[in-house]
Amino acid sequence: MAATIFGIRHHGPGSARSLRSALKNLQPDIVLIEGPPEANDLIAFAESKEMKPPVALLVYDPENLQQSAYYPFAVYSPEWQAIQYALFAKIPVRFIDLPVGMRGELERSNSGADPLDWLSKAAGFGEGERYWEYLVEQRRNSTDLFAAILEAMTALRQELANENDDNYDLIREAYMRQCLRQAESEGFQQSAVVCGAWHSPELVEPWPTAQDDAEKLKSLTKTKIQATWVPWTYGRLSSASGYGAGVESPGWYHHLWTHQKNVVIRWLTNVARLLRQEDLDASSASVIEAVRLAEALSAMRESPLPGLAELNEAVQTVLCFGDTAPMQLIHQKLIINDRLGQVPSDTPQVPLQQDLQQLIKKLRLKQEPIAKALELDLRNANDLGRSKLLHCLNLLGIPWGDMQRTNSKGTFKEAWSICWQPEFAVKLIEAGVWGNSIESATTAFAKQTALDAPDLPSLTGLLDRVLLASLGEAIPVLMLQLQAVAARTSDTLHFMNALPALVNILRYGDVRQTDTSSVAIVVDGLVTRLCIGLPFSCQSLDDDAAAQIFEAIQQTHGTIKLLQNPEQIDNWRQVLLQIAHQSSIHGLVQGRCCRLLFDDGSLDTEATSKRLSLALSIGTEPTAGAAWAEGFLRGSGLLLLHSDGIWQVLDAWVAGLSPDNFVAVLPLLRRTFATFSSPERQQMGEKVAKGQVVSKSIVTDMPNFNPDQACQALSVIAQLLGLTS
Amino acid sequence: MPPKAKAKTEDLIETKTAETVSTLRQNAEVQFAQELAELAQADQRQKPPNWKLSPWAVATYLLGGKLDNGFEVSPKYIGSRRLMEIAIATLATDRALLLYGVPGTAKSWVSEHLTAAVTGDSTLLIQGTAGTSEEAIRYGWNYALLLSAGPSMDAVVPSPMMNGMNDGKIVRVEELTRIPADVQDTLITVLSEKTLPIPEIGVAVQAQKGFNVIATANNRDKGVNELSSALKRRFNTVILPVPDSADEEVSIVHKRVESMGRALELPIEVPALEEIRRVVTIFRELRAGVTTDGKTKLKSPTGTLSPAEAISVVNSGMALAAHFGDGTLQAADLAASIQGAILKDPVQDAVVWKEYLETVVKGREGWQDIYRACRELL
Repeated sequence: MAATIFGIRHHGPGSARSLRSALKNLQPDIVLIEGPPEANDLIAFAESKEMKPPVALLVYDPENLQQSAYYPFAVYSPEWQAIQYALFAKIPVRFIDLPVGMRGELERSNSGADPLDWLSKAAGFGEGERYWEYLVEQRRNSTDLFAAILEAMTALRQELANENDDNYDLIREAYMRQCLRQAESEGFQQSAVVCGAWHSPELVEPWPTAQDDAEKLKSLTKTKIQATWVPWTYGRLSSASGYGAGVESPGWYHHLWTHQKNVVIRWLTNVARLLRQEDLDASSASVIEAVRLAEALSAMRESPLPGLAELNEAVQTVLCFGDTAPMQLIHQKLIINDRLGQVPSDTPQVPLQQDLQQLIKKLRLKQEPIAKALELDLRNANDLGRSKLLHCLNLLGIPWGDMQRTNSKGTFKEAWSICWQPEFAVKLIEAGVWGNSIESATTAFAKQTALDAPDLPSLTGLLDRVLLASLGEAIPVLMLQLQAVAARTSDTLHFMNALPALVNILRYGDVRQTDTSSVAIVVDGLVTRLCIGLPFSCQSLDDDAAAQIFEAIQQTHGTIKLLQNPEQIDNWRQVLLQIAHQSSIHGLVQGRCCRLLFDDGSLDTEATSKRLSLALSIGTEPTAGAAWAEGFLRGSGLLLLHSDGIWQVLDAWVAGLSPDNFVAVLPLLRRTFATFSSPERQQMGEKVAKGQVVSKSIVTDMPNFNPDQACQALSVIAQLLGLTS
Repeated sequence: MPPKAKAKTEDLIETKTAETVSTLRQNAEVQFAQELAELAQADQRQKPPNWKLSPWAVATYLLGGKLDNGFEVSPKYIGSRRLMEIAIATLATDRALLLYGVPGTAKSWVSEHLTAAVTGDSTLLIQGTAGTSEEAIRYGWNYALLLSAGPSMDAVVPSPMMNGMNDGKIVRVEELTRIPADVQDTLITVLSEKTLPIPEIGVAVQAQKGFNVIATANNRDKGVNELSSALKRRFNTVILPVPDSADEEVSIVHKRVESMGRALELPIEVPALEEIRRVVTIFRELRAGVTTDGKTKLKSPTGTLSPAEAISVVNSGMALAAHFGDGTLQAADLAASIQGAILKDPVQDAVVWKEYLETVVKGREGWQDIYRACRELL
């Protein structure tokens, strides 16, 4: 029999096109492709009308879902075209790579050096992809291309024989040869072998003896492996996604594949149309100029046809007026392209679905399309597992459970309403791109969401959900992102709102043993930025904004004290002092800062009453003064009862108001005083009734005071305080 | 430059070479006359009509390189080869070129050298200001002649633009966005029709092959006149970026500080690369909004912090150290001018700068002196 070897590069329109015409000329009776043999049964699905690339073969170990491999195919992948050819010609097609189930402990070389890089360096190009693109992918007609590739690779492998050949590749090639022998023994006359260019020289006869190859494969054990098709995206086909054999510009390749003529003009027209969709000017005249510039550039660089680099430069210069921002859009939408593949509905289940089924079984849940209430007690392991699963699914965008409010005050109770909807199955398949188990998929998804999050509140919101779903692994990424976003944020309120959740984790830890060192760094940065930014964001506030800052300052004060970091507490105190000193700040905020400082002992009574009288002095607007008083007093009136200096200042101010002004500030004062408890108000009333005669000690002020009874309690109190032995 | 003087260009060059010692700055084509001549000799490639050099040779002139005969061409622009290629290809397709970018990124420098290499004459220059009038772009009148003999070509005083069109040369327009919008728009006819009508006489000046316009504009300035979209469309825009790598920037700053220090005759050694590197690092980090190690994000100040500003910071630091300090450049000498360069907006930038000092400089090893010096000034 004769075997014709086609060395290709995965995903390239040029090689795909050349391969298709070569196969037509060759008329083989069997096609053998470098791919996982476990998926042989699935090849027939490629013919289905519902199958739309990009798709991927997912090969996984059902016992251990983390052990899996993806084999993506785009419409312009040579392998995909070979499959299509074989299915159309109704000849057998098989995968011949070493089965994934046999790779187990084999060590993979991670040399990372693309063999093409050697060739391209020799040819004076920078890196392999450009060289290959120049030679192969942009070529429109090529008959002896594969012979040339084979020759180049043979030479390359001889040169690098000792450096680059590692055991892993040799074993794979031995297996491929065994498959070729098998095909031969079955009586096929003309086989077409499609494999990575690197392997091609080793598959050309003469081969080593069958015994030699069998020897190499002898020690490998086989595990049971399953395979299925999953939808794929061009985004995940791009090398930026971390896919080893990825290409830099899947969308551009798609364009090269779909259009034979006028590639440049069509591409630039598409760019212009995209820009127009985004309300950016892009006239036909500009497209003409862009085409001219691209051609001039490629002429200057002595290449026959403008490549993607020249096109991008022309677009940026002519259509985008030199701006790079629209280029990112073009990169995302056209060069990478957001095309999503589709697989037939009768393909086998993906592991994520299987994992969910296993979890549901383990946690004794039922997928029912009718809403049902579910009460969970998180102290119970099974219920905790259920809660975690529901939170994870929610994060993945599969709202199976809807969390309800509970009346119970404990944090261990959760009420859910669960209802399974059929379209969740589709969403689950889509979520399959994130991972093979619910936990790993959710983690990967949360990480990505964190990277895409636009601002601080959305990140802290995500953090909450991640904590609920106890995805410990996503926390470090979230923290890094929080830090990065915090640096860009100029809204101090965002900082202040983000702080409590973080400090809680830091201070009390949580049940899931989150790594708190990364949190500490973030908190440190947040507090520093907060302290620098707060005085500025307190400037020129209206009443509503002041009320927000008031709450935030109050909350932050508590949070920072909770941290118990002396340096930060000191910083914070400085900031409060600074705000209290500045005159242009809203009274509500200033009053509160004074109060917090007073409570802390940073300001003594004398200093505080001085500030109060300054704030309430004749020069200030009465409403501003009242706001100051509200900020200072809101929440607790004890201060007034205990501190005569302050009482007198306030009293004098109220007494000195003109009738009009008094009416104006009355609602504000009323609002303030309404927050005091009724005994406090009562005592104040008594104090006012007594006029200026105010006693030094509050004790004598108390009605019905019985010294004898008090003495009895004293010894117990002393014991409680540890004053007596 | 007045048109009459143009005839005497040759003499001018001679006098200029004779005056080298006292001329503060020479035109590019005079300063690099030898390089241009060598390139013209070695250049075998096809030239666009009326170009003195081929696009390839122009690129070599700008970016530097070694000719086949061993002659070394010095680089005029240190940075992306791609951008220069786009600029040259633009001129070759007879589209006008707009060099855009923050101040201090060598826009005018590139435009001068491009014209010098393409047409051998970088003097056809229109300086854009808020007071630039239409006459400066089109033509003016010799009023004595106009009154005595009536309108005629003799009474027309041509602008650099008109001269460039007549001779098929490249005209430079500096600071295009500073020119009032209605005056800017007179360029539209010139750029799209390549003619300049003189309705008073009823003739039009037709541009000769080789004519083109290079404009420069600033995208960080306040009080500029945005280009109308009709005009914008007639330009290919190349944005000149700040240098890519820290080493590149350090070497640019070092080179310029050295040559300027010599010109100002400062009695001080050029500071060690280390000190320049610190200034460049601070500028780069604030500009990019991220620390060099890529770990911490930062806010960026409103100023541009271009290499040109880094150069002036180091220069003024040197002057301080020489005249008031102990003769060697200390952190304290730099601190004041660094701060002056960064704090362009007293409120916003102060926050940015303080954050940067506290979160980055404070903890960095060996930077304590600069931290203290800057803190003292705040």
